[in-house]
Amino acid sequence: MIEVSEVTKDFGYVHALRKVDLKIKTGEFVTIVGPSGCGKSTLLRIIAGLIDPTDGGVDKPDDSMGAFVFQDSALLPWRTVQKNAELLMELEDGFSKNERVSKASSALQQVGLTGFEKHYPHQLSGGMKMRLSLARSLVLSPEYLLLDEPLSAVDELTREVLQEEIYTLHKKEKFTSILVTHNVSEAVFLSNRVAIMSPRPGKITHIVNIPFNGRNQKLRSSTKFHKLVGDISGKLRSWK
Amino acid sequence: MEMKNIAPPILVLVIFLIVWSIAAHLYNMAFLLPNPLQVAQAFAADIDMVMGGLWITFQEALYGYLLAISIGITSAAVMSQSKILERSFYPYAILLQTLPAVAVAPLIVLWFGFEMKSVIIISLIISLFPIINNTLLGLKSTSINLVELFQMHKSSRFVSFFKLRLPAAIPNVIAGLRISAGLSVIGAIVGEFIIGSGSEGGGLGVQVIYAQANLETALVMALILTATALGFMFFMSVSTLGHYLLRHWHESEIT
Repeated sequence: MIEVSEVTKDFGYVHALRKVDLKIKTGEFVTIVGPSGCGKSTLLRIIAGLIDPTDGGVDKPDDSMGAFVFQDSALLPWRTVQKNAELLMELEDGFSKNERVSKASSALQQVGLTGFEKHYPHQLSGGMKMRLSLARSLVLSPEYLLLDEPLSAVDELTREVLQEEIYTLHKKEKFTSILVTHNVSEAVFLSNRVAIMSPRPGKITHIVNIPFNGRNQKLRSSTKFHKLVGDISGKLRSWK
Repeated sequence: MEMKNIAPPILVLVIFLIVWSIAAHLYNMAFLLPNPLQVAQAFAADIDMVMGGLWITFQEALYGYLLAISIGITSAAVMSQSKILERSFYPYAILLQTLPAVAVAPLIVLWFGFEMKSVIIISLIISLFPIINNTLLGLKSTSINLVELFQMHKSSRFVSFFKLRLPAAIPNVIAGLRISAGLSVIGAIVGEFIIGSGSEGGGLGVQVIYAQANLETALVMALILTATALGFMFFMSVSTLGHYLLRHWHESEIT
């Protein structure tokens, strides 16, 4: 369980977040959607512990391992694919050299990057970079994964494939996922619940339950899916 | 290197030599403007002396350059670790650049003597700032997402520096080193001008002064070209190092 309680964040005179409450159950997939500049990325960084809130706090289980997936993949361009996949194990203590190599290899296999170990990031497509970024996080067997608009820079087709892969990984590895996106259908496709934020100062105004079991291509064209996307988009548009 | 890379600069050189030859012929005063052939002859005639001078200047510039690299990178690394340190010391790094090194050189000689040591220090002063400035810029320009990634996994300053900031700064470090490569030779020549005849044997700069005093213009030009070649060699060495370090990942070196 990750519990965000009354989180408020000001940057000088800018009120980014106002008393945000959100409870995320273990193993749940929660997506935060909201208009640009509503502070959703700030909220995710506060949950990650990268920024301190002005007021309120975030409760996470002690010593729980988390990983953050950045919008631009955040790979080290001077490291090969293999070495990028090993990076976080070098930063966190307690992984032997052999363990790093074997865990990285199996994570790369999981995301379909076997055979690209010796490539450098600039030789990869946007989708492959994001796969590598996911593999890099998976090696830590994280209890929670924070995703900050991870698919905003890839093409539509790759995006759908990657959404399915992210969902499969989430189910298989059983990590809690918190996603920030401005893509409503992505939010509906991936989540158990979608949290809708208001414009600045950001506040969670609605939480929508997504009742689907299993995710596949067929779901995207179903009426229920479209109706939920429409509902959430409607709530977002009501700010304008 | 391929033919298409070498051909254009060679063509420029040939045109330059032809224009120079014509100009020298028309002017017809060899003690003021010798032609390329006379310069080559002067070089060949005094080859032992010129090579001796080159060896001295090479050492001075090399030591000055290596000192500038170690002091420059270390001080940029220290300044990158704290805003206070940067604010305290960076203005003085700029003063180092605006300091009229040529005017300070006599003072250096006064303090450190008519010796190679003084020349090395002058070379160091002249080549230091671009290394500090570029390295510091590189160390401060690390992508914010990467910084957050390292922060997320609780890496120490030490680990972040060596696994992230320093490798990310290498393109800038190399850019600084390239600028300073030529400056270190210029600094050595300036230093030699000041210490003049006081030095034993004499580097290229000392020989230029003597040759000029004897109106051996062709030799002056041969010496200048030799010093230029020395700076060029420094530059190419650093470029090669840069290519080696960046060939797999940086836009500037990926072909």
